[in-house]
Amino acid sequence: MKYRVRHTTSYAYARPVDLASHMLHLAPRSLPGQRVVWSDLSAEPAASRSNAAFDHFGNNVAWMFLDQRHQHFAVTVTAEVDVDFAAPPEAAETLPWEQVAQLAAAGGPGAWEASEFLFDSPMLPNEPLAMAYAAPSFRPGRPILEALLELNGRIRKEFAFKSGVTTLNTPVSRVLAQRAGVCQDFTHLMIAALRGLGLPARYVSGYLRTKPPPGAPVRRGADQSHAWVSAWMGPGHGWVDLDPTNDLVVHDEHVVLAWGRDYGDISPVRGVILGGGRHNVSVEVDLEAL
Amino acid sequence: MTRPAALDEMVDGKGGLRPHWRGLLGSFSSLGEGGLAERAQRLQRAFEEEGVTSVLPGTTLSDRIWRCDPVPLPIAAAEFAALEAGLTQRARLLEAVLADLYGPQTLLADGTLPPALVYANPGFLRPARHMTTPSRLQFYAADLIRGPDGAWRVLADRTNGASGIGYARENRRLLMRVMPEAFRTMQVRGLRPFFDIWQDSLQNLAPVGRTNPTVALLTPGTGSPPWFEHMYLSRELSCALVEGGDLTVRGGEVFLKTLRGLNRVDVLLRRLDGRMIDPLELDHGSLLGVPGLMDAARCGTIRISNDAGSGVAEAPALSAFLPALSLRLLDERLELASVPTMWLGDARARALVQQDPSCWLIRPANDGTAHAQQPASMLPADRMALLRQIEARPWDWAATAALSPSVVPCLDGDGLTPRPIVMRVFLVQDGTGWRAMQGGLARVIEDDTMLAGALPQGGLSKDVWVLNEDRGDIVGPPAVAAPTLQIHRASGDLPSRVADNLFWLGRYVERLERSARLIRATVARLARGAALLPREAVEMNSLARCLVEAGCITPELAHSTASAGMLGDALLASVREGGAIQERFMSVARLTESVRDRLTGDMYAAFTQALRAARDDCRNIGRSLDGLSHAMVSVQRYSTTVAGVAAESMVRGGGWLFLDLGRRLERAHAVTSEIAIAMDHTPSRIETGLRLVLELCDSAITYRSRYLNVVQPAPVLDLVLIDQGNPRGLAFQLVAIHGLLDELSEGGPREMFSGTAAGLLAEAETLVEGVLAAQDQALAASDLPPHLDGISKALGELSDRITRQYFALLPVVQTVGVTDDDGMAVEDVEAEMVAAL
Repeated sequence: MKYRVRHTTSYAYARPVDLASHMLHLAPRSLPGQRVVWSDLSAEPAASRSNAAFDHFGNNVAWMFLDQRHQHFAVTVTAEVDVDFAAPPEAAETLPWEQVAQLAAAGGPGAWEASEFLFDSPMLPNEPLAMAYAAPSFRPGRPILEALLELNGRIRKEFAFKSGVTTLNTPVSRVLAQRAGVCQDFTHLMIAALRGLGLPARYVSGYLRTKPPPGAPVRRGADQSHAWVSAWMGPGHGWVDLDPTNDLVVHDEHVVLAWGRDYGDISPVRGVILGGGRHNVSVEVDLEAL
Repeated sequence: MTRPAALDEMVDGKGGLRPHWRGLLGSFSSLGEGGLAERAQRLQRAFEEEGVTSVLPGTTLSDRIWRCDPVPLPIAAAEFAALEAGLTQRARLLEAVLADLYGPQTLLADGTLPPALVYANPGFLRPARHMTTPSRLQFYAADLIRGPDGAWRVLADRTNGASGIGYARENRRLLMRVMPEAFRTMQVRGLRPFFDIWQDSLQNLAPVGRTNPTVALLTPGTGSPPWFEHMYLSRELSCALVEGGDLTVRGGEVFLKTLRGLNRVDVLLRRLDGRMIDPLELDHGSLLGVPGLMDAARCGTIRISNDAGSGVAEAPALSAFLPALSLRLLDERLELASVPTMWLGDARARALVQQDPSCWLIRPANDGTAHAQQPASMLPADRMALLRQIEARPWDWAATAALSPSVVPCLDGDGLTPRPIVMRVFLVQDGTGWRAMQGGLARVIEDDTMLAGALPQGGLSKDVWVLNEDRGDIVGPPAVAAPTLQIHRASGDLPSRVADNLFWLGRYVERLERSARLIRATVARLARGAALLPREAVEMNSLARCLVEAGCITPELAHSTASAGMLGDALLASVREGGAIQERFMSVARLTESVRDRLTGDMYAAFTQALRAARDDCRNIGRSLDGLSHAMVSVQRYSTTVAGVAAESMVRGGGWLFLDLGRRLERAHAVTSEIAIAMDHTPSRIETGLRLVLELCDSAITYRSRYLNVVQPAPVLDLVLIDQGNPRGLAFQLVAIHGLLDELSEGGPREMFSGTAAGLLAEAETLVEGVLAAQDQALAASDLPPHLDGISKALGELSDRITRQYFALLPVVQTVGVTDDDGMAVEDVEAEMVAAL
């Protein structure tokens, strides 16, 4: 499936900004199953200096520095991406989840990179309630993908999709208590639950196609930055991407931007500005199927 | 299980004196009865007077301070050489570990290191990954203890910029002064060469092609416990002492903001936790860092030493893997062992701890600064709770064998008592290899849990003496040929923040003096007790309004309904804790600390002693107005001391200019508004006002010598407003401000602020001439206050403009895109100060 991505983040400041530094995780990464045909990053006003590299996780990261006074800043990424992620293995054939946990804890060949996503991260401290929520799906000896799919479905069913009831900093415990939130909250919840069980899980940011495929139900979280979970099934089967907001296995409706331990590692536009006063931010996302 | 007895550094097991202690004890006994105790007192005094730990009241962060025991810890040259070799190998090893962890991570890929030691380690800074840098470690320290078997072992590796070296150097400097005999009889290796090597190595880290590189020491600032050490180090290493706010990144390069503009920085000696150095990529809440610094380091336009991410190698659990890592990375056996340490993510290690917890100290696996927990001294319930914690998250914990550290005699009253010690040794990479400082910082362990963590903020320390076998082996570094320096006389290199602080120090010292003068004048009238004459009532009303203006009392007290008793109580309250005068002491103390690196030791001592004396006098007045008056004399004396010391000792460069400018502006402002208040009466009362003006301007004697006892408006106003020879008058201040601003703008953009000062002087002259020419001088004089208020206001605006021009007043810093809150705004202190004018 081929898509045209367009994502604009605009800041309007109450007072002039003298100096601004931005770190951007906006360019989609190339992956098996995801070909980036082209991608382009532009800003208004243009940066006086910019730089790009791969971060520790292998994501595309760009920096923009502005040293001219400005009162608004907009950064836009446009890209053409071809996605077709392989279907996951038969759930029954995957390893028992306890064995995956053991392999991840031991690290070493085949497992060390996944091990990184086992531990607490700055936005996701240890939360026993999250693990307790997931535990019923992780019965002893159960193949990991079976348990993961069940958990993915439970979150979709048991949590209301409601914007405005959470912020970027809402802890998982609050999301659990109010049984509502947005994609980022469900993603954080599921990651915290899996890590609590000793399973590696990472935070994936990206987009969901704006118009659902013909005949499919309306998706939640389209038309904005989306987030979902990548879970590890052991060295053989590797990672599977699950979207708990829509109870989907990522296949060809999602475009991957970047992944990290939590939102903080890959915040799309992160900046430090001098001045500016209060500001308004607006985000426009469009993922158009070609 | 009982621990073997601790080894005694001084005596061997058979009661004999170890050879390298003989000379030392000989020199002690030559001091005679009570001699050592007397030296200890002198040492203590020296520390209080000028040690790195002496701080101003109001700025103390901790009641614990470092003290130095007069008995050093001597170490024979051969023994120290073995330690140096072992520590050198460890430094090379940790350097190699860092290179791998921030590069290919083969140690994780092949399972040599468990993932928890890296990925769960908050010191592993992901943004520092893949940076191309020849080495990530140039400064390394280790904490060592000597066990009962006589072997030194490493308790903690310090790779994040260990503190303590400043204290070690200070111990040596003061000990040499207090115990010269001991240094004559013993061949003690000097510490200075190490600092020369360090300084050269920092210079050599500069990016290619930079001649005369600028090295800056990045500190968290005056509020942090190691501030004194940072100040001390910046002097020893001849580098600029900077806070994050002093630096800015432009075009991918890092600059220091100075009065003349931006000066590029080439090397940053990092004394701020790596996590805090760049809010853009690392801890976004950190306002101590510099946005864009990581990008500059990544592009190689600046070198940070140690590298931002070097702290990951401090993980206590890493010790357990060093023997294997040494074989794997260096192909060498580890020569200098750690105190036996296990990572508790390993089930066998956990079993050993469960079996006999009291043999171990429990430490967080990844936090080298946390203090250890000691199961042996815990209540059974607490011990069980700790073991359960370990069972729940075993990868978070490490256990270190509880060894008894060796003991060293310490002075205790008149005698010596053996006490356990831990020793910190410092090494620096000089470009070709690692070199140890020939000495160290030993400290007495008061409690086993304090063994392993960060250096405490105080305690009893000891100088470490490395003893030469013979006089021949003193090696200094080769002199490095520095490029010829250009002659600089200008003040432009002064960091803007320092200039700002000096300016406000000048203002606040003057403001204190003014408050003291007003309080004395008021108290003198209150003390007369009896009902006030109408003239006196007018004076009191003017004084009360001046006191309100000076911020000493609240406006209600200036109303005619306020009684004398209420005013007296308010003045007494202003000098108590929390009162206006005490607040002012705090501000002055804080500002003095913040410019301490610009003051010589003698100047600092003069400033602080006078301030302490004034503060103490204010604390001891109780409810006596008489005492209050005396205390105010002491405040005035402090102010005079600062002015005198500054005038006599400060080079007439940028620093002094700003101190004096602050003082002159404050005084000009005060004089003008006091005259305006004193004259704000009907023409019939104007003479009373004029007398008060002469008193407040300390000009009564001069006036009498010129005009005897006849008080008329024009001559009085001439003396206090336009006589350029009267140092208490307005004209004198304006002429000085004019000159200072002229000097400051020389060579730079000629912002003609100084024109404002000249204009104000002309305005004052016109006003006085108008009074002189008037038919009724009293009537003309009573019209002056609004005009004088105009001059006050103009002075305030001038101060504002100076602040904007020279102090690069920064707008509020905020982060976006990480939180939903409207950024993380921080009040700008300077901006508040301007507003408070």
